[in-house]
Amino acid sequence: MARITAGIASSHVPLLGVAHDQGKDRDDYFGPIFAGYDWTREWEKSEKPDVIILVYNDHASAFDMKVIPTFAIGCGDHYKPADEGWGPRQVPDVFGHADLAWHIAQSLILDEFDMTIINEMDVDHGLTVPLTMMFGAVDAWPCKVVPLAVNVVTYPPPSGNRCWSLGEAIARAVASFPEDLNVQVWGTGGMSHQLQGPRAGLINRQWDNLFLDGLIGESDHLRRIPHIEYLRETGSEGIEMVMWLIMRGALGKRTLALHRHYHVPCSNTAIGHLVLRPDNGQELDMTISGASVAALTE
Amino acid sequence: MISDTNIRDYLAQLEDIPGTRVFTAARARQGYHLNQFAMSLMKSENRERWKADERAYLEDWQLSEEQKAAVLARDYNTLLDLGGNIYFLSKIFSTDGLSFVQAVSTMTGVSVEEYQAMMNAGGRSPDGLRSKREGR
Repeated sequence: MARITAGIASSHVPLLGVAHDQGKDRDDYFGPIFAGYDWTREWEKSEKPDVIILVYNDHASAFDMKVIPTFAIGCGDHYKPADEGWGPRQVPDVFGHADLAWHIAQSLILDEFDMTIINEMDVDHGLTVPLTMMFGAVDAWPCKVVPLAVNVVTYPPPSGNRCWSLGEAIARAVASFPEDLNVQVWGTGGMSHQLQGPRAGLINRQWDNLFLDGLIGESDHLRRIPHIEYLRETGSEGIEMVMWLIMRGALGKRTLALHRHYHVPCSNTAIGHLVLRPDNGQELDMTISGASVAALTE
Repeated sequence: MISDTNIRDYLAQLEDIPGTRVFTAARARQGYHLNQFAMSLMKSENRERWKADERAYLEDWQLSEEQKAAVLARDYNTLLDLGGNIYFLSKIFSTDGLSFVQAVSTMTGVSVEEYQAMMNAGGRSPDGLRSKREGR
């Protein structure tokens, strides 16, 4: 049986991909950002996930204004890095897990989530930057990826509550997949940032950290945050954080933080990163023994 | 549903944030061809044609004269007012060789150096910029 063993939240700022690809990831500006992912890279080597369900948003790369799916799941076998205007990133192609993806897609639709199914697309920095942050420079990504794209560009995006519920439905779908698979769910985007207008550059360290706090433990109060609060408090692009709630919803009733990282700035954005262990009846180790010290403090 | 969201109240709130144009359906409709034009710059052959003659390239797209002028002037605040979305507009400034910080700073009324200094100092505080109506 497939089981969800961890959840990861991470920003997906495109500049991180550029910094990594140009070998600037340990310089004075980017060093402190990438250092916050060192723990996770080591941890992933022992976790060895088979599949990542990677929740992200497309940034006018695979989707344009012709079709705007609210929730779309990649059911293909193979995705290439997108050309976002300066040529595709020189990172490995992404391989899907079509059996699991189609199983999840069918299960979600029967569970009343009306998913869009994608057979072919290119994947942009929203998907490839988190892979780089968690796995570094590799010849091939060490696991398969099921892309789950969310519209957070054209209003209204899905509510936080709907995202959380989708995560719960993904957990049910994974639990009913017969093959023995180690599955992680990643929620990407955020944290506070605004890329437009005279208010651009907004950062709200306090709100971001309360949001990180809220992903840990038993509370589900984050699912009730309305869109307008994300916009007012964290900038127009901070709305991407609703995607983290899909990850959190998939982890069940309670979570334990294994690692936590927060840094300002990266380009226009606050970087947030959290590694969570779910207490979801899968008998996972819920003691603090595996956690990094950083998980306990901001 | 967790609350009985009234769409008129929901949309009114989105217009209440200082210095911000939320990409609502109304803006998406107004900016459809503008955003699709910007999207076309994803292809390298189109970028070459665009760079060779911007005005001629724009003739292939159903943009208003106002939108065309703002594109040629790289006036991003006006492009937001005319229905542009920043992820689509990013195809224009990426083709110009500008980073997000460089392009975004042009919308804030300060130089890119001042903008970067603000970001390095922790970014712009939301205090006073949450709501036009409530002035908080």
